Amino acid sequence: MSETRYTKSELMAIMTAKEFRDWEVAFVGIGIPLVAGITAKRFHAPNLNIVYESGCIGPQKYRVDFNVGDSSAADGALCLTSEWRVFSDMQCGYYDVGVLGAAQIDKYGNLNTTAIFGEQDYYSPKVRLPGSGGGNDIGSNIGRVVVMVRLEPLRFVEKVDYLTTPGFLDGSPGARKKAGLLGSGPVAVVTDKALFRFDPQTHEMYLDTIYPGVAVEEVKSLVGWDLKVAAGLKTAPEPTAEELAAVRAADPANLIMGGAAARKSLAGLDEYIEITIKNSGK
Amino acid sequence: MTESNYASKQMTLQEAIKKYVQSGCSITFGGFIGRDCVAAAHEIIRQGIRDLTVIDDSKTDVMDLLVGAGCVKRWEGAYLGYGAIGLAPNIRRSVEKGVPLKIELEDWSNAGISMRFLAGSLNVPFMATRSMLGTDIIKYNERVKVINDPYEGEPVALVPAARPDVAIIHVQRADVMGNAQVWGFTGNDENKARAARHTIITCEEIVSTDEIRRQGNLTLIPFYCVDAVVQVPFGCHPQSCYGYYAYDVLFCGDYHEAAKDRDKFLKWLDHYVLSSEDHLAYCAKVGWDRLQKLMGMERRFNRIPG
Repeated sequence: MSETRYTKSELMAIMTAKEFRDWEVAFVGIGIPLVAGITAKRFHAPNLNIVYESGCIGPQKYRVDFNVGDSSAADGALCLTSEWRVFSDMQCGYYDVGVLGAAQIDKYGNLNTTAIFGEQDYYSPKVRLPGSGGGNDIGSNIGRVVVMVRLEPLRFVEKVDYLTTPGFLDGSPGARKKAGLLGSGPVAVVTDKALFRFDPQTHEMYLDTIYPGVAVEEVKSLVGWDLKVAAGLKTAPEPTAEELAAVRAADPANLIMGGAAARKSLAGLDEYIEITIKNSGK
Repeated sequence: MTESNYASKQMTLQEAIKKYVQSGCSITFGGFIGRDCVAAAHEIIRQGIRDLTVIDDSKTDVMDLLVGAGCVKRWEGAYLGYGAIGLAPNIRRSVEKGVPLKIELEDWSNAGISMRFLAGSLNVPFMATRSMLGTDIIKYNERVKVINDPYEGEPVALVPAARPDVAIIHVQRADVMGNAQVWGFTGNDENKARAARHTIITCEEIVSTDEIRRQGNLTLIPFYCVDAVVQVPFGCHPQSCYGYYAYDVLFCGDYHEAAKDRDKFLKWLDHYVLSSEDHLAYCAKVGWDRLQKLMGMERRFNRIPG
């Protein structure tokens, strides 16, 4: 067993990176999903091409991005085009895999990124979230969708407050096709404690892989329905030193994985620029 | 849709906003959380414009400022968040608590709203998309119409053309006629300029028309779509502008932290916007040295030839 220390975010990024295959075209959102994409590209899928909804196709990942429209999203791109064009290409089926985050997910993999209602409703919610962005479009149109979400109380719910992005809708046979959706729906839900997949018949989410040191009961207690567990439940391997190095190189100033705390620990703009250039491989 | 094609449409930012952005009008902004018209949003706030309807895809920095300053009545769009930094503090305060005003929201997906600008640019009443089907976006937004495709019978969503009164789009280079050249991604800018009744181009540099002609492929927006041309160097800060300057993530992080508190946001707004006479005064407060460093960083990665 490796004694290398790692954070939950790092393990999430590594588990997600494994869902990408070499030569695929991936539509990836900002944040940890992007770190996972960069990690895959620098590790086991060097020919992975990333597409951003701003209109950037196949950039070299010299720098990490904080928004899909950062100039870094265009660094060394194969094609720089428009937003409506990449969404049309998505609708044509050119993109193999998409990665999404969410605030809430239900047992059929439907996602909420619009609002947490609390005691209120859509019009006066407890927490207003960013909205769909391109999330709904990815969930509607891309062949394989991987969801990244922390396994925390009130995130895995029987029913999402607002269905922003379609998973398997009500789970009934052919529900996606009946609604007019193209992609085949979510294939994996990567969390900080376990990885879930979907039953091909019932479309219900089940526990597929548990992380080292996590108990099945702990996972079940954080899921808002009677979670089924795979007969051949797997345990994820500890991340290797090489995998951790790849994740850390993808986010060298730790501003994605480390958030506001990491931002405050930087001495200032000079240090940020120096770290970025030093780790760009350029 | 310009009223007339003058040899020069160059004016100051103050003049352009005063002439084309009125209280109560509908507006869209170019860029895509990157190449955003931040300086133009500052000027809208300085001029005290109110009751705007913002029709947009993903434009957080501009929207968070405008909503916090009380300029927006309604938003039709897809995304309002600070990417990897977090949620949008002023949007949350407005929607959750009605401070300073409660904005009306109409949610779309990015592809859905993109199709609205495409329809507007094609001068057709609507466009079809396979996005948003089967979700609550359609439940709460009755302007998305699900019909059966009259040819094949499968369900498809229809979205109405967007026709904002004004589009403001920041580009790298333009000439005084209004030919606007863009490097990097282009978002929905070509369609926004065509869908809008009036288009203001803000740019990093004004170049000669001969210079435009050297690389006509790069002209995303031709002169006849454009009503005003304004040179606004560093007009996107703290956002990035491909080939000119990198994203100032630390400045944006500080803003985000301050904006979580209403009083601190108002102090920020007063310091950087209301008590800055114009964009040059804002740049001086940010620091020319800082802006030069962001420019130096960007040019390590992306350089505009010529």
